[in-house]
Amino acid sequence: MTRRGIAAILLGMAALPAHAQMDTARAASFIQAAGNELVGVINNGRLSAQARREQVATILRRAVDLEGVGRFVLGRFWRVASPAEQQEYLRLYEESLVRNLAGRFGEFQGVRFELGRTQSRTEEDALVSTVVQRPGQAAFNLDWRIADVGGQPRIVDLIAEGTSLRLTQRSEFASVITRGGGQVSALIAALRQQLAQ
Amino acid sequence: MRFTRFTMLGLLAFLAACATPPPVTDRDALAEFNANNDPAEPFNRAVFAVNQGLDTVLVRPATMAYRTLVPSPARTGLRNALRNIRTPVILLNDMLQGEPQRAGNTLGRFVVNTTLGLGGLIDVADWYWGVPFHNEDFGQTLATWGVGEGPYLVLPLLGPSNPRDTLGFAVDIATQPLTWVGSGFEVSLLSGLRTGLGLLDAREAVQDTLDEVNRTSLDPYATLRSGYRQGRNAAIANRDRGAQPAR
Repeated sequence: MTRRGIAAILLGMAALPAHAQMDTARAASFIQAAGNELVGVINNGRLSAQARREQVATILRRAVDLEGVGRFVLGRFWRVASPAEQQEYLRLYEESLVRNLAGRFGEFQGVRFELGRTQSRTEEDALVSTVVQRPGQAAFNLDWRIADVGGQPRIVDLIAEGTSLRLTQRSEFASVITRGGGQVSALIAALRQQLAQ
Repeated sequence: MRFTRFTMLGLLAFLAACATPPPVTDRDALAEFNANNDPAEPFNRAVFAVNQGLDTVLVRPATMAYRTLVPSPARTGLRNALRNIRTPVILLNDMLQGEPQRAGNTLGRFVVNTTLGLGGLIDVADWYWGVPFHNEDFGQTLATWGVGEGPYLVLPLLGPSNPRDTLGFAVDIATQPLTWVGSGFEVSLLSGLRTGLGLLDAREAVQDTLDEVNRTSLDPYATLRSGYRQGRNAAIANRDRGAQPAR
């Protein structure tokens, strides 16, 4: 073992909180199970594209902490929004996120994934890295951030090749709101319009 | 003095197009403005709109034609060859970043792929020896030296960048030996072909992601600005695909 390896382990031990909120083994087995389920549906040739998307959406609704991600993505504007706006935003956001992800995943026919190294990052969540391979396409890194939500492991972020979904979306939404005169209603209108298409 | 006056005019137009920062009393808004680090946002958005237009009528159709006309194995071979040709630039930057092991991988890959891989068409080093490709550029080297990125920039045709990466891009071209090799019609033709295919290949690799952004984002400009930064930071920290251990 290298000196750097030992140092990393010592550092890792020092960084471990008294009670790990999400241990990496649990996070990894959660992603293994959810990933297998997703791949099973995506590669099921007997399903129509529509049925595939619907089943992927069902899995995502169960596995993703939709409300938590929604609040994170709205960021500082969550406090600005009225309770009615908060509710309406969450409803629209959840639908939009599930639809977009299901649409994207649904196209991944022939997909395979492998668990990579798993690292615990913070007190609250674990990062599970996977490598996703599709026939005729370059493999890419997909990391899953897993947190404990009400005693259950839930996905709180997806990081594709170093780009975090929730950070990117927070930036996108902040821009929509700022350009809409600082009104959360501008974002709600834009989400509603997109979902109507 | 016409040139100077013209330059001044351009500079004034640029400054006039600068974004007004939010008042200091709005601390959250100011923090966000600083984090976006995009003082020339109105100017950048204008360039972005032109790029998007060119993209729709020219670049995307060319990419799709490339995908349709050239079968996948041939595209892979071409990508391998282009990566192999890029070796001097990657090797130089591996060394400038003080990464002897990565430099060794780059050099070893070049020797193996140029010979056994039939001039770079087959990535033998990856599939047989498990030494995958990794990229480097001078923008990343500057970052590892502690040079800041500077304000966000959208370049005409080339898209998202910043002063550091723009300088890096120019240095990459200057440090590619092929830039300086020979002259004459045939050489120019080959070098033009290499550049053209390189752009097409780079574009093809990100086409699906761009389509996805344009289809789902409520503000593609903001999405790409954030995505570009995060992607570059991952590449600088060698957290991108090539940095991962072999399968």
